[in-house]
Amino acid sequence: MSNLLVLLILLPAAAALVCYFVRSMAVRRLTVLATGGILTLSALGLLAQGTFAPTEVGSFLGIGSDFLVTVLDFVLLGVIYFYGYKHKSLLIQGFTLAQVVLLAWFEFFMVGHEAVPAMMGDQLSLIMVLVISIVGSLICIFALPYMKEHEEHLHLKKTRQPRFFFFMLIFLGAMNGLVLSNNILWMYFFFEVTTFCSFMLIGHDATEIATKNAVRALWMNALGGLAFVIGMMLVYTQAGTLNISAILALGTTAPVMLTGLAFLCLAGFTKAAQVPFQSWLLGAMVAPTPVSALLHSSTMVKAGVFVVLRFAPAFAGTFLSTGVAVCGAFTFLACAALGVGQSNGKKILAYSTVGNLGLIICCAGINTPLALTAAIILILFHAISKSLLFLCVGTIEQSIGSRDIEDMRGLYGSNPRTALITIVGILTMILPPFGVLLGKWMAMEASADSNIFVVVMLAMGSAMMVVYLARWAGSMMGSRKPGARAESQPMLIRLPLMTLCLGAVVLSLASPWIYNSMLAPWIGSAPFVVGFGSLESAHGTFVVVPLFLVLGLGLLYAVRAASGYRRVKIMPPYVSGANSASGDGAYVGPMNGDVPFSTGNLYLGEMFAEPKLTPIFNALAVALIVLMLGGAL
Amino acid sequence: METLILVIIGLVAAPLLGGLIAGLDRRVTAWFQSRQGPPIMQAFYDVAKLFGKEKMVVNQWQILCAWVYLIAAAVSVALFFAQGDLLLVFFVQAIGAVFLVMGAMAAKSPYSQVGAQRELLQILAYEPILILVFVGFYMVTGSFSIDAIWAQDLPLLARMPLLYLALGYALTIKLRKSPFDFSTSHHGHQELVKGVLTEYSGPYLGLIEIAHWYETVLVLSLCALFWHTNVAWMALLLVATYLLEILVDNTMARMTWRWMLKRVWLLGMGMSVVNLIWLYAG
Repeated sequence: MSNLLVLLILLPAAAALVCYFVRSMAVRRLTVLATGGILTLSALGLLAQGTFAPTEVGSFLGIGSDFLVTVLDFVLLGVIYFYGYKHKSLLIQGFTLAQVVLLAWFEFFMVGHEAVPAMMGDQLSLIMVLVISIVGSLICIFALPYMKEHEEHLHLKKTRQPRFFFFMLIFLGAMNGLVLSNNILWMYFFFEVTTFCSFMLIGHDATEIATKNAVRALWMNALGGLAFVIGMMLVYTQAGTLNISAILALGTTAPVMLTGLAFLCLAGFTKAAQVPFQSWLLGAMVAPTPVSALLHSSTMVKAGVFVVLRFAPAFAGTFLSTGVAVCGAFTFLACAALGVGQSNGKKILAYSTVGNLGLIICCAGINTPLALTAAIILILFHAISKSLLFLCVGTIEQSIGSRDIEDMRGLYGSNPRTALITIVGILTMILPPFGVLLGKWMAMEASADSNIFVVVMLAMGSAMMVVYLARWAGSMMGSRKPGARAESQPMLIRLPLMTLCLGAVVLSLASPWIYNSMLAPWIGSAPFVVGFGSLESAHGTFVVVPLFLVLGLGLLYAVRAASGYRRVKIMPPYVSGANSASGDGAYVGPMNGDVPFSTGNLYLGEMFAEPKLTPIFNALAVALIVLMLGGAL
Repeated sequence: METLILVIIGLVAAPLLGGLIAGLDRRVTAWFQSRQGPPIMQAFYDVAKLFGKEKMVVNQWQILCAWVYLIAAAVSVALFFAQGDLLLVFFVQAIGAVFLVMGAMAAKSPYSQVGAQRELLQILAYEPILILVFVGFYMVTGSFSIDAIWAQDLPLLARMPLLYLALGYALTIKLRKSPFDFSTSHHGHQELVKGVLTEYSGPYLGLIEIAHWYETVLVLSLCALFWHTNVAWMALLLVATYLLEILVDNTMARMTWRWMLKRVWLLGMGMSVVNLIWLYAG
């Protein structure tokens, strides 16, 4: 058991050091590939061994591990303070200093330093480990060819890849540590490591804008770190232990405890980029695409929702729970609205991520078995689909030099493989019978029990999300010249894309069994019964497998009909006049000149303009968060 | 077994009923406009003729999208008749809606492109209302399954009157009738030719027509759930609702999407929310 834990947490760190110090490309390739493989196997191995009760970690080279973590904590805070000083950010310095002071007070005067088993693995942790280790590894593998080309574009004299892969791999180890922590101080340490890694990765290209956005990400997450420390201290004064499973078992709703939990949720909100903290995640787009993929799918933001979900059982049925649900639902709605106005592919994905995280947090707040199931299903499938979409955008961007969806019009004509995979990826985000929609369905059925504001926000947000993603998928379709060659994709690009694409589809089909084997045991009273490949609950039934069969056969038939299109007459589109001889949608205009075809999506700027809506949403979100924190008292 | 029979009935009867409704619709509309109008079976003749035409498309995506639209519409009706989960029925229906839009966007045609954008706006308008109506069903019956509705003694209309009115908005949009008919205008003189349908012709247009019949039956079936206790009243409710739709269609001009979004979101959602609050309080 402990060997697997060491592999999952320390192997990435060791591999990161190899990548950093051995500056050979071949070694880096081999290290990343091998680490990815071993992480995947270890995660599966951990799954096979099943859940485990909190366990001791013991000492490391003769030094107590708790002591080691404490020392590393202060070292890390020192490093973060240094960067705050270097970038002249008073916010970072202030938040970090406050953390140092509070943490020192906590460590030296409050905590009794009893032995706390540092690691535990329940179903939630195991699923997170799978997501982090497998999806994260695929992203790192994708980054190998991607970063090579990225640096060729930048004409760097000296490669910065060693540093890049150092932080990517450390990130995976830290995330595994975070989700397996049972000692809240350990959780805090890993929480801070992810903050620092994201800061270094966002600022990787060291351009002015990258640095600016990295600094913003750091101060927002330093605020989250501060909230974590405060939450931890308040919870400790009530619970008297650092042991998370003991805290969860305590079941007290004393005001101090609830306020502490509310601060922990606030820490989760900042990390999960909930409104009004969304700007750091949107700013993070300046980083190379694999970083965005990693932040958005398997690390960082998932750490935020994980923290909220981890502590959700402790505040079930309180006003705090309702507050969390309302905040999450509001983020879902706000980001769906903001997404409608976007034409930048990465921005669309970013808003859709934040929106979906809002939905997950909303589920954690609704806090019924059904809602918690929805949250985990959403985490799992969102990670797969979203990482796939980010990697697709990266591939497209390197091919056509733009990430604007208007420039991706008719992409199928030039890049059929990438376009097809992207379209499938988008459909797995919004349509049944795929996993993300399954999660959304559960969330909506669960929200009907919650309160009316939550229901209305989810209903509206869901419609907007469909609009902006469907629009994107549609515009990538287009005509293709007969006999045109498909674009070539390097092996290490195609492998992650295909794996994730297949994963999104096949795992959706397997969702009833995933539910049965991994989710049902976690939740005390399992909300669903699996029968005939369907998930049945008192609320309703999702016929997963039958729907897959019927729609799958239907799709196969449709694809067959469509592939016989050569027998069908191909016509130029109707332009209410003469089509130009050049084809391609152009028509003969005045003076017999060709008028080229051009079109644009309706971004509804008057209603969904980002600059106009963002301040309003931010103000409302701050009000809701204050309500949540205050209501916990 | 019983479910299977119901599903088969649904799959077979829905397009027949839908076609018939389309034919009746044209007769009544003609009567409103003091014309004679085509025979009631005209919709079937039209589709039969379409299937006899040569197959022509701009690209293969259209074939794919037309088929998926039809399949999704049929599956959603089948799920409905199988007494399935209302939200799931709705999501399956959304597959068809999304593919119709994507098919229109696949062609480099200004008309179908604009039509697609407008269809998306229509989706934006009706989707939240439908979800809230389903939440209303849940509030009354304690389940999203259609099964649970039959266990109720009182017609649901008594407890969700405002939700029924809101559903009327969704119905008008889904049936693509004035004032919300701007993605596939039925009238030749209007400037958009045929919106999302511009690039579809022959058999593929026929497929879309049949899919639309399925959708008509689906939405009307939703309305029927509001008076499940008595078949006669259910029929009366449906006839009255549909006649009202035709009346609205013929007396209203086509409006802009701004008008639609504001109207439907404010009034439609407003009514839904008020009704939901009654149910929560009750």
